Parts: sequence; structure tokens; C-alpha cells
Amino acid sequence: MALVHKFLSGTYMFRKCPKPGVASCPFLGTRFVDYCSSSLQKPVAGPGKNSSEGDLQGHHQREVALNITSPEEKSEVSFDKAIKDEIKSHFRRLKDDIVNYWIGPEGRPLHEVLLEQAKVVWQFRGKEDLDKWIVTSDKTIGGRSEVFLKMGKNNQSALLYGTLSSEAPKDGESGRSGYCAMISRIPRGPFERKRSYDWSQFNTLYLRVRGDGRPWMVNIREDTDLIQRKNQMYSYFMFTRGGPYWQEVKIPFSKFFFSNQGRIRDAQYQLLLDKISSIGFTLADKVDGPFFLEIDFIGVFTDPAHTEEFAYENSPELNPRLFK
Amino acid sequence: MKPPILFTILLTVISGTMIVLMSSHWLMIWIGFEMNTLAIIPILMKKSNPRAIEASTKYFLTQATASMILMMGITINLMYSGQWTMSKTLCPMASTMMTIALAMKLGLAPFHFWVPEVTQGVHMSSGLILLTWQKIAPLLVLYQISPTIDPNLLLPMAMMSVLIGGWGGLNQTQLRKILAYSSIAHMGWMATITLYNPTMMLLNLTIYIIMTLTTFMLFMHNSTTTTLSLSQTWNKTPLVTSLILMLMLSLGGLPPLSGFIPKWMIIQELTKNEMIIMPTLLAITALLNLYFYMRLTYTTTLTMFPSTNNMKMKWKFDNTKKMILLPPLTVISTMLLPITPLLSILD
Repeated sequence: MALVHKFLSGTYMFRKCPKPGVASCPFLGTRFVDYCSSSLQKPVAGPGKNSSEGDLQGHHQREVALNITSPEEKSEVSFDKAIKDEIKSHFRRLKDDIVNYWIGPEGRPLHEVLLEQAKVVWQFRGKEDLDKWIVTSDKTIGGRSEVFLKMGKNNQSALLYGTLSSEAPKDGESGRSGYCAMISRIPRGPFERKRSYDWSQFNTLYLRVRGDGRPWMVNIREDTDLIQRKNQMYSYFMFTRGGPYWQEVKIPFSKFFFSNQGRIRDAQYQLLLDKISSIGFTLADKVDGPFFLEIDFIGVFTDPAHTEEFAYENSPELNPRLFK
Repeated sequence: MKPPILFTILLTVISGTMIVLMSSHWLMIWIGFEMNTLAIIPILMKKSNPRAIEASTKYFLTQATASMILMMGITINLMYSGQWTMSKTLCPMASTMMTIALAMKLGLAPFHFWVPEVTQGVHMSSGLILLTWQKIAPLLVLYQISPTIDPNLLLPMAMMSVLIGGWGGLNQTQLRKILAYSSIAHMGWMATITLYNPTMMLLNLTIYIIMTLTTFMLFMHNSTTTTLSLSQTWNKTPLVTSLILMLMLSLGGLPPLSGFIPKWMIIQELTKNEMIIMPTLLAITALLNLYFYMRLTYTTTLTMFPSTNNMKMKWKFDNTKKMILLPPLTVISTMLLPITPLLSILD
């Protein structure tokens, strides 16, 4: 709870000082530097963080498309204007990129980046935050699961809900089915250049969620340039409690195990944090029925008590190739 | 990797470079390059995780493309001159193709994109070999064809490399990427002087290899790969921390350290050849490199980086890594300036 409070109040950096400066000391004395930093923009906390239980009801109704315009208000669509606006926005982003490059990594001063011990990466406070996520289910392969994503009550969380169905598609080749997933979009720079997250100074993933007791899988993908790597991901489980209270899930990155094409491999590799591409939540627990998951924010932080580098070992019996 | 296998692979890498250096037949030079490329792939994949495999694949694709272009240049030269012997007279088309191929192998801009990615993806020791030993063969071939290289091709590439090496390294917090951009910048300096005085290029290469070797060994000694972990080394190995200061300033080219020698000699040679704008631009862009080296020393040596209390009273374990060459290399990397006149033996 204290950690949540720290996240929300933004006081998760070292003690601030009024101005940066080097303490004047004798010539051979140790120089101490006071690193001054502006507080990070904290997530906007609503007046009441307790969502009522009424929020949990009525999630099983079918969601209709939200953007149907009435016949009288037909918006004018100009193709040329749209193209020009798109090009202008890309150049604007390029200019911002160049300006941010002068400031420091990720557009912030270097000392701020180096001193950071906790960071909120994704939060759900508006419709634009939902655009950073993709939801998918086995409907793409012919299954019957449904999944929807919408903003929660008071725009303080996102609600992922739907119905899981493990009925296999009748296409003659699929034997199993039944998954729903929510995956973050790959961050893009100007001209749709692929970007990645650098979480190398953090060691734990922090999620504030409220589920329905179902086990979810958290999947992290690294930045991929080559074709083979798009099937590789690192996963771990998140067990939700299902109560009315929010749950703080902390998963150290050392616990994530490696899988390729959906199968956990004998050869296990550590999750390298300097080029993270996306994170995803998958539900595939073979239990048919409705589900929901409410997410407040997703962050990363450094847990100084966690010193494990990698939780799994490779053995010569399972994987002799690695020990040649 | 088992020692006999590692020995064989390293021997092949060394043989490949030696074949390139000692051959006068263009096909043997190409064979030497190929041996080098193929043998270094298992070394890059020493720690076989997906990132290292991706880095090795990128390296292999780039080097294979460069070898292809080199072979094309060799074939064009054979068509024009009728012989395979490496000589100082090359037809312009062949010279252009070979220059582009060697620029790709070296990581000169605009073919530099693979250098930070590959260096970051592999283990420190593999990155060490990548940024030092692998530069020798292409630079020595560039040395031999230097009379026929088109300055209008090589000089812009060199200038772009120095700019990109300085600019790209500015916002990096990963040490291997910093060293990769440092390598790109140094290759730019070497490419500039190859046209006017190739001996200075050899001098720059020697001092660059020694400095980079020492830097890598210091980082391996501390097992650090990020600026943040390097900033905590004052508590664990205070002597190494002070050596990092000297080394970074030497890499940045500050007198009276060894790194100043190549910069001084190159600027002197360029001005002797009545070029004023080029050395001015080179000297100014070297400040970008110096900026990020200084930032590294600021967080590491010059200031005590903020840390938690348990870091300040950390129990120091003896480091079991044996770096026997570290003391002599450190001395050479920092104290060579007074014997600069002696370096004319490279002639």
C-alpha cells in the first residue's frame, strides 16, 4: 500500500534539493553532488480510489460500437487533407524527437533517468490511453471467445471483459481454443519507426489490478528486428484474487521464463530489459464463461531487496547444446 | 565453450586476419575476410541467448553483403587490369566498390547501423574482439588501396562517421553502445587521414585498439554494462574507478594523455595538406565524444552518485577475475605522449 502511495504521489526519486551543485570541499576531499530533479508527472488520482461494487455488475452486456454517427451529422472526409495532416504530424514528431535528443534520453535529463527508481509506464485515465492497446481473442482463428476493452468508472481504470469459450473452431485442424489477450502496441516514433522501452535500471514489474480470481499470464516481448524473434516471448503468471479490493502484483523480471511459438523451451534465457517492445495479458485457463480484469496502472520499479538475476537454470541433460 | 573448440575458433579468426594482411592476391584477401567473418560468429554467440543470436545474424548479414560488394570490386578490377595482384593502381569503379565494402565492414557512416546493435547484443568479451581485432583487416586493406580512393567518397563518409559517433553516443546509458559509437567516431578519424598519410592511420589504429582494449577490460573487471552500475563501482573497486577517469579522458583525446597523440598528428597532417575546414570540423565534433566520456567520468569518478545506505557500506569481496594485461595496457593508454617522436618507426 505504501508503494502505491509512493507511485501516486510521485515521490519516488531521491531526496530533492533546491538547486544542483557540487558541495565545495577541500581539493582532495570527496565531492558530493546534489542531484535536483523535478517530480515526475504523477497519474491523476481521483478523489475516491475505491470503486464501488456496482462497477462490477453489468459487465456481461454486449458492447455496441460507440462511433455510430447519426445520419444528419455526416463528417466530411477529405483524403488529401488527411494525408497532409499525417505528414505534418510526422515532421512535428521528428522535430520534437530532435529537441528531446538534446535534453537527454527519453526527452528527460540524464540524471533524472539515472536516478529514477519507479516509473508508471501505462495508465488508464482516458480514451487515448486505451488506443495504446490491442485486444484479441481466438475469434481470429474461428473460435467463440469475445473480449472488449473500455474505460472503467470515473475514468480511473481500464476494464477488460468478455466471455471465454474453449470450443474449438470447426475448421478440421484446430484441436484446442479459448484465449483472450490484451497486448500493448509497439511504441512508434516519427515516420512509424519502431521504438522500445529501456527498463534496464528496474527489476520488478508492478501491476495494480482487480480481477475475478482467474489466472492470467503476463507476456513481455522484446524488440524484434528479425523474423524468427516475433514468436519469442517471456511470460509469468498473475493470479487475481477476485475481491472488491485492488491487488498489487509485483513480478520480478528474473522470474519470467522464455517460450517460443507458445511452447516453453528447455533452454531458458534471462529477460534482457534494455529493449522491451510490448507487454500483454492473456487468459487461457480453459474455463468457459465471463471474465473481467480491471487495470489501474502498470509500472516498473527497482526493488533493492531483490537480488536474483535469473530464476531458472539450464542443465546439460535438458539442453546439451548450451554446454558444448 | 570448450577450450579446444574456443582455441580452434580463435586461431581461425587470427588466421583470417593474417591472411588478409599478408596476401597480395585479391582472392586470398577475400578468403581471409570470409574466414574471419565465419569464425567470429560462434564467438559472438558465446552466451547463446536470443539477443546474441540476433546480433550475430545482423553481423553476419552485414559482413556477407560487404564481402559480396568487395568480390564485385575485385572482379571489376580483374576485368580492367587482367590480374589478381593487389596493386596501387585500381580502376575507379573497383576502387569505389571496395571503399564502400570496407566502409561497411568497418562501420563507417552511413553503414554504421549494425555497430551499436551488434555490440550491445553480445557479451563484453565478444564486443571487445569485435571493436578491436575486427577493424585491423579492413583498415589495412584501405591502407593498401589508399592512393586510388576517391576523396569525394571517403571524406564525406568520414565526416558523417565522426558526427554520428559523437551525436549517437550522447544519450546512451548502456556502456557497450557508448563504446560502439566511440568506435564509429574513431573510424571516421582514421578514414580521414588514410588519404593523406596512411601511417598516421596505423598510429591511430594502434592507440585506439589499446585504449578500447583497456576500457573493455575495466568494464569486464567490474561486470558493469550500464552507466548506473558503473557509478556504483567507487564502493567496490576504487582504484579501477580512478583508472576509468584517466581512460575516458584519453579516449576523448585530451592532452597530456595518449589519446591526444592521434588527434594531434592527424590535425597536423591535414593542415600540412592545406585543409583547414576538415580538421576544424573534426576537432569540434570530437567535443561531442568528449562530452559523453566526461559525463561517464562525472557520474563514476568525480562525484559520489546517490545510492542507498546499504551500498555505502557494502562488503568488498576480492575480485576473482584475472586481468593480467590491465596494468601495462593502462600505462600505455595514458602515458604515451612524451614518446610521440618515437612513433615514426611506424613509417
